[in-house]
Amino acid sequence: MTAALPFVQSMHAAALQRRLPGSGLAWLDAARTDALQAFADRGLPDQRNELWKYTSLRALAQRAFAANDAAAASRAGAAALLPVPARQGSRAVFVNGAFRADLSSLDALPEGVAVQSLAAALRDAPEPLRFLLDKRVDDDDDGFTLLNRALAADGLILKVAAGAEVGEPLHIVHVGLAAEAAAAFHLRSLVELGKGARLRIVEHHVGEPQTGHLTNIVRDIGVHANAHLDWTVVQQAGADATLLRRSKVRLHDDAALDLHALELGGKLVRHEIRAELAGARSRFNSRGAFVLHGRQHADMEVLVAHRGRDSFSNAVWRGVADNRARGVVHGRILVQPGADGADGSFYNKNLLLSPDAEIDTRPALEIYADEVKANHGATVGQLDEKVLFYLRSRGIPLETARRILVRAFCSVALDGMDPAPLREHCEALLAEQLPEVSA
Amino acid sequence: MATQPEVQAALSRRYDAGFVTDIETHSLPPGLDEDTIRALSALKEEPEWMTEWRLAAYRHWLTMKHPNWAHVKLGPIDFQAISYYSAPKNKPKSLDEVDPKLLETYDKLGVPLHERAKLAGVAVDAVFDSVSVANTAREQLAKVGVIFCSMSEAVREHGGLVRKYLGSVVPQGDNFFAALNSAVFSDGSFVFIPKGVRCPMELSTYFRINAGHTGQFERTLIIAEEDSVVSYLEGCTAPMRDDNQLHAAVVELVALERASIKYSTVQNWYPGDENGKGGIYNFVTKRGECRGDDSRITWTQVETGSAITWKYPSCVLRGDRSVGEFHSVALTHHYQQADTGTKMIHIGRDTKSKIVSKGISAGRSQNSYRGLVKVEKGAANARNHTRCDSILIGKQCGSHTFPYMEIKNPTAIVEHEATTSKISDDQMFYCRSRGISEEDAVSLIVDGFCKQVFRELPMEFAVEAKKLLEVSLEGAIG
Repeated sequence: MTAALPFVQSMHAAALQRRLPGSGLAWLDAARTDALQAFADRGLPDQRNELWKYTSLRALAQRAFAANDAAAASRAGAAALLPVPARQGSRAVFVNGAFRADLSSLDALPEGVAVQSLAAALRDAPEPLRFLLDKRVDDDDDGFTLLNRALAADGLILKVAAGAEVGEPLHIVHVGLAAEAAAAFHLRSLVELGKGARLRIVEHHVGEPQTGHLTNIVRDIGVHANAHLDWTVVQQAGADATLLRRSKVRLHDDAALDLHALELGGKLVRHEIRAELAGARSRFNSRGAFVLHGRQHADMEVLVAHRGRDSFSNAVWRGVADNRARGVVHGRILVQPGADGADGSFYNKNLLLSPDAEIDTRPALEIYADEVKANHGATVGQLDEKVLFYLRSRGIPLETARRILVRAFCSVALDGMDPAPLREHCEALLAEQLPEVSA
Repeated sequence: MATQPEVQAALSRRYDAGFVTDIETHSLPPGLDEDTIRALSALKEEPEWMTEWRLAAYRHWLTMKHPNWAHVKLGPIDFQAISYYSAPKNKPKSLDEVDPKLLETYDKLGVPLHERAKLAGVAVDAVFDSVSVANTAREQLAKVGVIFCSMSEAVREHGGLVRKYLGSVVPQGDNFFAALNSAVFSDGSFVFIPKGVRCPMELSTYFRINAGHTGQFERTLIIAEEDSVVSYLEGCTAPMRDDNQLHAAVVELVALERASIKYSTVQNWYPGDENGKGGIYNFVTKRGECRGDDSRITWTQVETGSAITWKYPSCVLRGDRSVGEFHSVALTHHYQQADTGTKMIHIGRDTKSKIVSKGISAGRSQNSYRGLVKVEKGAANARNHTRCDSILIGKQCGSHTFPYMEIKNPTAIVEHEATTSKISDDQMFYCRSRGISEEDAVSLIVDGFCKQVFRELPMEFAVEAKKLLEVSLEGAIG
């Protein structure tokens, strides 16, 4: 039955058509074939899957995607789309799913930082990536991770040696450009910080409005003992883009991850963050906001598992949905047996600005240890009439007053973001997005 | 901290209500098919439409799958091994005819069935196994036009009312266990409060599961007409027995314009022994519909029993300005599992709901709150506030919170807060420094933790509930 779906058909056709980097390696071919077979069995995740409960893929399933954009390596127009903060300093640029050395700038990276595209790594030295790519199918895999395993043609392999400290942020830019047909890009990435390393990543998604591409990113992020990763996501994908991400993070003893996410673009956008606080005293802070209008759909899944003693997680997410948009937030804190001293919290506030918009929020706690502190909170509401009245009584027009309040509401997600230019960039983006927020 | 032997002694306390009354019962042989249902319906002298209604539910049930989404572990249930009807042989006409052994049972449980019933102002419709055996204070109720009788009797004598409302809140095919219940429900209570009547007393039912291998499938229907008020109490205990017993009840509440229904439950069924052997499976569908404007439904529950509890007393807030409330204390110990919570479905304008849930897990138990707050498009100005707190007592238990919020109206305000922690050392230290023993301190803190819910219970229940928690928690500190 599912085999008849145009989406599924196009994925199988892609697997036949395309010669992927690294094909010919027995273990890689086997892993890809297994994954494709498992995808044929499982199909796309449906809403009976708790993690996809509020995100319907029915429309997506009716669409067919090209296997890739053959002209991705030479397509012009990406330079103009590069976000301002990424124009200076180190950056890795992907255009329509392919790494573009000509647009990237990686020479200024300090010693101890190794950056390579997945395609290049598979060509030069595939064996060290075997642990990442030669994986068996398990219960956690959904249709998209399986497709990614079967079809990933590029990605970013980033390793920071123990003790290396990278002061300036590294920008990773995904650019979507219009092509002959809407295509599906599967990217597989790895970020690894050695002991005591420090790194700042800023991930950008930008694109032309009418591209219709599907980008499916799966990445593993390992932060070793005492290392610290600062990760900012600025998502302004094209208005027609489908962007699905799964980030699997593992934090070792005393490791820390600070995440800031600003999700503004795209048509169907999802980020599933699975953070495993494996080490003692590991810390995960996340702050994020989405502002949606039109028929946008955003689904943020923040799944935190505390396994280490005295591990700490804190999440503050804000959502704004206008017009016919739908925002979905799922924050889960799982405390495993033995994770004594765990301290987890998840807070999510949402603004619903239109009678046709919808917010579905689901904070969950699963606690299997007793020496813990875990709490969550979620609200859905609208702007405070009294505050609006106050602003208007000071002569501020209604529209401006609304904008001020919505902006203040979202700016919590930018708290603690640095350096200053990046923060200013994000604030400007937020301000830009808000005039679209109607009454 | 309590010493190990103390903890052991307290943990191995025996189930106080664990006794079996030896009474001859008339039962259908185990097994379930259309003939069983026809036989059951015939035994209960039901009209044709009722039999057909049951059969329709049964046919639908056959097409359904056993659900598995709850956060509980249970083995497969053999529905063919259950006897679907068991009733005391002699139907008594009055209290004097009631089997003295039965009365003794109630005495042990503290049911005020004799004169005490009237003195206490409680009308008791005691369900012993599957058939109601006694109704008290009936005349008093009849004077104001309140109908309070067993479901079987209601089907025979108030067929019109039953037919109109039965299944109107929980349809036959609502879920797996509701469908099963619709097919084979044995008995239950029927309450009808006519227009403008404030029910003169608290209505109360005690359920007991007594005969072995007998699933109990109560069906309760409460209808509150315009401007009426009723408070209904449901309490449960069950004797000790090793086989898991299935209990799949359905409770339907209908509140018309400006009516108010308060439904309180203390559930203390056999939870299984300290090794998790035995105990009741309590899979209940409870739902109330605020059908009329300005109506109100309040659910209050204290859940300490059952090996597995799986229930979500819900409110469908259809009428404008209607109010739904849910107050719950769920305590699990040993190997007990509870997956309980509520659903608040806001459909009417200016509807309000409030959820207070307190979970206490001890031993190796798993205790989950699962709740849904849904605000439909037309539910302008809907308000919800949810508060879920859990405490963990011991290293091997689990406590979980799964709230769902689906909001489709921009004027709604929905808030959810939850915390999970153990009993704080500071609180313990404070109590201990005042010379309060460890056990009493825990009991005191837990009582304080649950106070918000106990306040909602009718007097008699509040006392019972408090005692129940104390007993259930003895020595569970570690």
